Amino acid sequence: MFLLVLALFVTVIVSLNIGYAQIPFPDILGILGKQIPVLNGLIDSSLISPQNTAIILQIRLPRILAGVLVGAALAAAGVLYQGVFKNPMADSYVLGVSAGAAVGASLSILSGVGFAFLGLRLVQVAAFVGAVSAMFLVYNISRVGSRVPVATLLLCGIAVNFFLFAVVGLLEVVAGDELHSIVFWLVGGFSNVLWRDIWAILPFILIGIVASYFYARDLNLLAMGEETAHHLGVNVEKSKQILLVLASLTTAAAVSICGLVGFVGLMIPHLTRLIIGPDHRILLPTSTVIGAIFLVICDDLARVVATPFASTLELPVGIITMLFGAPFFIILFKKKKQSYAT
Amino acid sequence: MVLLNVDGVECRYGSVKVLEDVNLKVEGGDFVGILGPNGSGKTTLLKSISRILKPHKGTILLNEADIYSLKSVDVAKQMAVVPQDTSIGFNFAALDVVLMGRNPHMKRFQMESEKDMAVARKVMNLTNIWHLAERPINELSGGEKQRVIIARALAQEPKILLLDEPLTHLDIINQLEIMDLVKDLCVKENLIVLAVFHDFNLAARYCNSAIMLKDNKVFSAGSLTDVLTSENIKSVFHVDAIVKKHLVTNSIFVIPLSPQKSSPSRKCSIHLICGAGTGTALMKVLLDEGYSVTAGVLNVLDTDFETAQFLKIPVTSEAPFSPITEKTHKANLAMICEASTVVLTSVPFGYGNLQNLEAALAALERGIPTFVIEEVPIEKRDFTKGKAKALLTELKSKGAESVKDQNELLSMLNVSIEKFKTAKEERDRILDHLKPEETKIKGAGEKS
Repeated sequence: MFLLVLALFVTVIVSLNIGYAQIPFPDILGILGKQIPVLNGLIDSSLISPQNTAIILQIRLPRILAGVLVGAALAAAGVLYQGVFKNPMADSYVLGVSAGAAVGASLSILSGVGFAFLGLRLVQVAAFVGAVSAMFLVYNISRVGSRVPVATLLLCGIAVNFFLFAVVGLLEVVAGDELHSIVFWLVGGFSNVLWRDIWAILPFILIGIVASYFYARDLNLLAMGEETAHHLGVNVEKSKQILLVLASLTTAAAVSICGLVGFVGLMIPHLTRLIIGPDHRILLPTSTVIGAIFLVICDDLARVVATPFASTLELPVGIITMLFGAPFFIILFKKKKQSYAT
Repeated sequence: MVLLNVDGVECRYGSVKVLEDVNLKVEGGDFVGILGPNGSGKTTLLKSISRILKPHKGTILLNEADIYSLKSVDVAKQMAVVPQDTSIGFNFAALDVVLMGRNPHMKRFQMESEKDMAVARKVMNLTNIWHLAERPINELSGGEKQRVIIARALAQEPKILLLDEPLTHLDIINQLEIMDLVKDLCVKENLIVLAVFHDFNLAARYCNSAIMLKDNKVFSAGSLTDVLTSENIKSVFHVDAIVKKHLVTNSIFVIPLSPQKSSPSRKCSIHLICGAGTGTALMKVLLDEGYSVTAGVLNVLDTDFETAQFLKIPVTSEAPFSPITEKTHKANLAMICEASTVVLTSVPFGYGNLQNLEAALAALERGIPTFVIEEVPIEKRDFTKGKAKALLTELKSKGAESVKDQNELLSMLNVSIEKFKTAKEERDRILDHLKPEETKIKGAGEKS
């Protein structure tokens, strides 16, 4: 675990080095060090150009941190959903969160209003609101009395997803010039992330991940089946409800700043489980960190891959996650599938 | 002392009653078997006790407290369940699965303590699976997996253990070992055990009381010997069963007979001359085939006599170990006269029952078709210095049909009945021709 966190740090630092402007590592460390009060006095700032400081702190760092947060959020939410649903196909978008966000974002893009709410762009707010509303819609449709059976939840989620994506399709047809923006948002990317976006989603994601960790043992027990979990002392309906709300809020927050980044929420939990086994108390934090590392690296690739062709062109990170993540997962799966009998 | 009190419980799925007016009072040390056919409400009863299905009416009290008002955690400290379905979604190690049983004893932010590990180790040793601790659960055999699940239940340190058909996937040695263990805990730790059984003999061996459900109601409850009777089994399961006390295990044992076939009554009665168990199997087969059966002369206490009693077959009987008297012989002849066929089994003959051969001869003389089963040659079962053999030879020379076994007998019986039927039809046809002309004309008139 410690090694993983270290790996995340290294990934972040290395990622700060990647980009059009070549900034050497010592400078990067110096710039970062200056931000930490204790180290401030120890660093000779004369060697660091203010231009580089701006690139690192205002452009690259927020973008990379967004990658960390979103990757962590989607992977953690994926673990929660797969645990609650006991279904390997469940991912962080299973409750209609993605489709809700997509409808919200598409509508706001079409409205052409760029208005800001507490400094946030309308697209983000709309995506978040759409995601959360879709989640509550699905949850309430599936409720049978005071219980929410997993099967109905899954089916309602899929139905609502299809419906809302049909709405998105309609919006795309009438979008005209805005089509490109919608498509770009749907695939997901970090190109416009600012510090205030980070601050806006940080509490949701932090609280979501930390709070769900306290339910990691419940997730283990839920994996035994809901009735068994109940016999072993879990308040099944309450735990399920809390876990689903936490997962959905986390996902909604992540999706709101970067669009629909696929694959992370589905595959990172599986990948982590292949490596360290099914115990959610280890699986959840490990997945979170691996998700963060994975998404940051993917974003690096997104920035770099297209540069030889055009210096300003960059790919949406969602394409990278799927393009590189899927084959990687398949290779790993083929190697270790024996031990992965679900 | 733990006390579980199920009081007037009624459960429903929607508007369908699945359990009605169940009362049950058990205390520590009780091992209660829940018996009943499929769909009679056994699992539902366990579900309502384990708080999965809240009763529509009635209460379930655990030490005077309504079980549905308690917190899950508090109930889980006292009650453990071994479910029917033991599939596990993710591939946890066996030890991790057993440690999950410690959940009710742990606080939310707590990791497993030394004590939890010690308990897990103890119960895994009890169930003989400690050596499997690190193995992934889905790679274990059915029996090993079931032991892991039972160890998990025991790790809860429960006062009440609910078992829903716990032995379905297990071979005989696993069944006995696990039930021995559970019984042991029940006695030593004063555990309440409620277990759904499909196997009467396992139930009989381990339970001290039982509850038998029929059509979602309690049909019979109380001590095992009161509940597990052949009458109860007959009326709840519609199966004839022999219930006896076993000489070795000293528990009762049950031998179910195959369910009564509902073949059409053949309106044809067969008198069996048998004894010493040679007629036992045949009685059941003939009844199943739809014949009505009588038998005689049989000594009281003879195996065939007991079978006949059990199958409610009329018998002419003689006192135990006594030769057939003239009086009984006559009674037997009277019974034979009522029969449409006589069957003589490969019964051994001594001076005591030689008269049965004469009875067969008498039957033949009266024109009743007689069959002789010769599975064992007469020389080997003639203890009358050739008298029996002579009588049998005479019997065959006078037209008794010899068959080699039960199957041949059955097909011969079919043929003779077919013959009988054709003969009857032929006679009816002739009679029809002889009927007065007017009825025929009347019939033709209606047609035109």
